[in-house]
Amino acid sequence: MSRVDIQNLNKHFATAEVSAVNDVSFGLGDGKILALVGPSGSGKTTTLRLIAGLERPDAGVIRLNGKVVAAEGVFVPPERRGVGMVFQDHALFPHLTVYENIAFGLRGRKNAEIRTTVNEMLGLVGLERMAGRYPHALSGGERQRAALVRALAPRPVLLLMDEPFSSLDADLRREVRQQVRSILKMLQATVIFVTHDQEEALYMGDLLAVFHQGMLEQMGTPEQIFHSPETPFVAEFMGASDFLEGRAVAEQIRTEIGTLPQPAPKGMSDRVQVALRADDVDFVLAAAGNGMIVERLFLGAFNLYRLRLDSGQALHAFKGHTEILPIGSRVEAFVCAGHPLAVFEDGNGVGGR
Amino acid sequence: MLMQKIQVYRSGAVRRVFEFKAPWLALTAGAVAVFVAIPLLYIFLRAVGADETAWQRLLQTRIWRLLGNTLALVAAVTGGACVIGVGLAWLTERTDLPGRRALRWLLALPLAIPAYIGGMVYLTLLRPRGGLIPQALEDLFGQQVATPSPLGFWGAAFILTLFTYPYVYLLSGAALRSLHASMEEAARTLGRTAWGTFWQVTLPSIFPGVMAGALLVALDILAEYGTVALLRYETFSSAIFVQLAGRYDRSSAAVLSSVLVGLAMILLWAELWIRGPRRFTQMESNWRPARRVALGRWRLPAIFFVAGVAFFSLAAPLGVLVVWSFQAFTDGQVLEAVFRTGSQGLGSFVWNSLWTSLLAAALAVTLSVPVALFSIRSPSRVSRFVSRFCQVGYAIPGVVIALSLVLLVNRLLPFLYATPLVVVMAYVLRHMPQATRSSEAALYQLSPTFEEAARSLGRTPQQTLIQVTLPLILPGLLAGGSLVFLTSLKELPATLLLRPPGFDTLAVRVWVWATDGFYIQAAPAALVLVMAAALALAFLLHREPIINEQG
Repeated sequence: MSRVDIQNLNKHFATAEVSAVNDVSFGLGDGKILALVGPSGSGKTTTLRLIAGLERPDAGVIRLNGKVVAAEGVFVPPERRGVGMVFQDHALFPHLTVYENIAFGLRGRKNAEIRTTVNEMLGLVGLERMAGRYPHALSGGERQRAALVRALAPRPVLLLMDEPFSSLDADLRREVRQQVRSILKMLQATVIFVTHDQEEALYMGDLLAVFHQGMLEQMGTPEQIFHSPETPFVAEFMGASDFLEGRAVAEQIRTEIGTLPQPAPKGMSDRVQVALRADDVDFVLAAAGNGMIVERLFLGAFNLYRLRLDSGQALHAFKGHTEILPIGSRVEAFVCAGHPLAVFEDGNGVGGR
Repeated sequence: MLMQKIQVYRSGAVRRVFEFKAPWLALTAGAVAVFVAIPLLYIFLRAVGADETAWQRLLQTRIWRLLGNTLALVAAVTGGACVIGVGLAWLTERTDLPGRRALRWLLALPLAIPAYIGGMVYLTLLRPRGGLIPQALEDLFGQQVATPSPLGFWGAAFILTLFTYPYVYLLSGAALRSLHASMEEAARTLGRTAWGTFWQVTLPSIFPGVMAGALLVALDILAEYGTVALLRYETFSSAIFVQLAGRYDRSSAAVLSSVLVGLAMILLWAELWIRGPRRFTQMESNWRPARRVALGRWRLPAIFFVAGVAFFSLAAPLGVLVVWSFQAFTDGQVLEAVFRTGSQGLGSFVWNSLWTSLLAAALAVTLSVPVALFSIRSPSRVSRFVSRFCQVGYAIPGVVIALSLVLLVNRLLPFLYATPLVVVMAYVLRHMPQATRSSEAALYQLSPTFEEAARSLGRTPQQTLIQVTLPLILPGLLAGGSLVFLTSLKELPATLLLRPPGFDTLAVRVWVWATDGFYIQAAPAALVLVMAAALALAFLLHREPIINEQG
C-alpha cells in the first residue's frame, strides 16, 4: 500500500561546490526497510529531507503512493505529506511531556482515539510509566523510543529516520536497534533510514542504497551489495577491501597471489583490479613465499593479519583467534574466496589501502 | 542578568564542579548576605511596626488605587515589551530581513537610554499645551491640532515600553538562536503548518527566555520613578518618593514599600512557577540553525515595523538630544548655565556619576566573588540560600533602598550620613544580584579540569584560586561589573533621595533641569549620560553571540 518513488532527484546548495544530490532515482515498496548508507556529505541525509519535504528539490519527481508530492511546479509542504520522521537529535519538544509529544501528531482526532493510540504507542516501546515525564528526564534510549513512536503514532505512509541511533552509545545502540527493527517489522512499516555505519545498514536494512558524492552508487539487498559491489567505492566502503592488480588472460585473471578461475567482465581492458576482503585471503608460513607479516591485530574472534607482498601491495587476511604467528615471518598468501570476486577496470578511481 | 541568563540557559543540566571548601569562604559569603539582607528586613520590620493608623489610613484611601495603577502599568508595558521584543527577535533572527547584523545592535541600544530621558524628550515635544510639536502645528495652521499626549497611563506605557523592550528582545533572540532546527521540522512532519509550528513549538520553546525578559521589564517598571513622575502617573514608587522627599512621612513610606517589595517578590516567584518542571536546555550536539523565512510580500511591513521601533526608541530621542545640545552650545547664556550651576559644572556631574558608578561596580563584583565561590564551589543548602539572598536586591526598588538606608544610616552609621558613600552603598545593594549572577555563571562554566590540573601540578587550593580560577573568570566578572556600572549610572530615585546637598550626578542634573523645563540646558548632560551607558552596554553586547555571530 505504501510506496515511494524517486526519479532523477537533484539538489544543489548555493554554498556548496558539488551537488548534494545528483540525479538519484529509486523506488521502495511495502513494508521494506531501506538503509541509505555512505560517508558524511554523500547526500543521503539530503535525500531523506527532500522526501520529507524539508528541502525543495531543484529537479526530479517524488511520488508517495503514486501521488506526486514534489516535481516541477509542485511542492506539497511537509505537514501534508503524511511522512513520519525520527531526527538525529530526536527533537522531542522540551515543553511537552512524553505523552503530549506523542499526541502532537494526532491533532484533530477524537480524544478517546488519541488516548488509545498514545497508550498503545507507549506500550509498544515500554514507556507507559514515562508518559508524564518531560524529555530531559529520560535516558538516551528512552528518548530514542519516544521519538520513534511519536513519528509512528499518526500512521505515516512512510517513516524516515536520520541517523536514529548515532546519539546512543555502542551497547545501547545494539539493543535499541534490535527493538526498533522488530517493532517496524511488526507494524509492517515502510522505512527509509540514514546511517554511515555499514554494520548498522546490514543489520537493519532489507535493502541498501550506497551513496557517494551525491550519487546513488548501488542499491540492492545486503547480500548483493556485499558480494557483488558494482563500483570500487561500494566494494571499499562495504567491507574494507584491498585492491589487487590483475591481468585478464583467456577466462582467468592472473594476480600476484595466484590465478582466479573467473573471467573479467565483458568490455573491460585486460588490466584489472580485484577487490579482496580479509576473509577472501589466507596464507601459510613459507620461507620462499610471496610476502611477509607486517602486523597482527587481535579482534577477539579473529586475528587480522596485515601482509605486505613483495611488490609492496598491502593485503589483509583473517585467521582464527588461536593462530598467532610472529611478525616478520615469510608467508605464501593465496585467495580462498570460494565465490567470484568483484573485478574493476584498472585506473577507474580505485583507491587501494 | 541578561548575559548570565543566556549563558545558564545554554550550559545545560547539572555538571561536575571542582569543590573548594574553606571556612573563611563561608563566613565571608555569609557576611555579604547579611549586609545585603539587612535593608530589606529593616523595611519589613518598620512596616510591621508602623502605626496601625498609618496602615488603616493607607488601606482606606491610597493603596488600592496605587495598586491598580501600578499593576495596570506593569501589565501594559510588560505585554507591549513582549510583543515588540519577540517580534523583533524573530524578524532579526529568523527571517531574511535586510541589515540584520546592524539591527541587532541598534535594537539593543535603547537599553542605554534611561526612560526618564526619553520621557523628557517626548514630553517636551508633545506636551498638550506648549509642546514643541503642538505649538508648531498651531503656528502653521492657525488653530489647535490634536496630537497624542505623552501624559498619563497611555503615554507612560508607550514610553516605558520603548525603553524596556530590549530585555525581551535580547533574551528571546538568544533563545531563538539556540533552538534546534529539527524541533520545527519535527512539528512540520507531524502535520503542523509553518504558522501552527510557530505558535505550538517555536514560541513555547523560547518561552523561558521571553519570561526572563518579561520579569526584568516588570521589575524595572515597579522600580521606575522618573518617567512616571514626569508624565504624572502615580505608582507605588512615585508615591513612596513623595512621602519621603516631600512629607517626610516615613511610616507611610515603609508601609507602601513593604507592599511594593511584596509585589516584586510575587513576580519573581511567579516566573519560577510558570516555568514549572519543564526544562528547556537542549543538547548542543548536531545544532543546526533553523532556516530563514523569506518575508516575501511582508518584507515592507516588517521593515516599517523595525524602522518604527528604532525611530521612536533610538533615533528620535538621540536626534532631539543632539539638536538641543547644539542649541545649548550656540547660546552663550545656556552654555554658561551648563558649565556653571552654582559652584558646579558639567565636569563635576560627569566625575560624580563616573566615580560613584565605578566604585559601586568594583565593590559589587568584589563582594560577589566569595558568594559565587561559596555557592558554586561548595554547593549545599546553606550556600544556595546565601546566593538567593544576595539576589533579593532585584526586588527592592531604588526608592525602597533609599528609605531603608536613610533610616539605617541615621541610626547606625551617622558618620556616613549625607556623604556620597551612602549613594554608592545604595547602588551596590540594588545591583548586587547582577554581579552575583555574572560571577556565578562564569564560575559555573569554567571546566573543573583547569583547577584539577593546577592541583595536580602542585598548587594549593588558595594558589589555584588566585593563579587559575580568578584570571579565567575575569571576563565574566568584568561583564557583571559593567552591568552594575550601566544600571548605577541610570539610577535616579535612590540618588535623588540619598545624595548630600549639592552633590549632583548626571542623572540628577538632567532630572532637575528636565522637571524645571530647561530641556535645552539638560540635553548635553543627558547626551553624555547616554553615551557613557552605551559604552558599557557595547562592552556587554560584544560578548553576546546574538550580536557577534554572522548570519
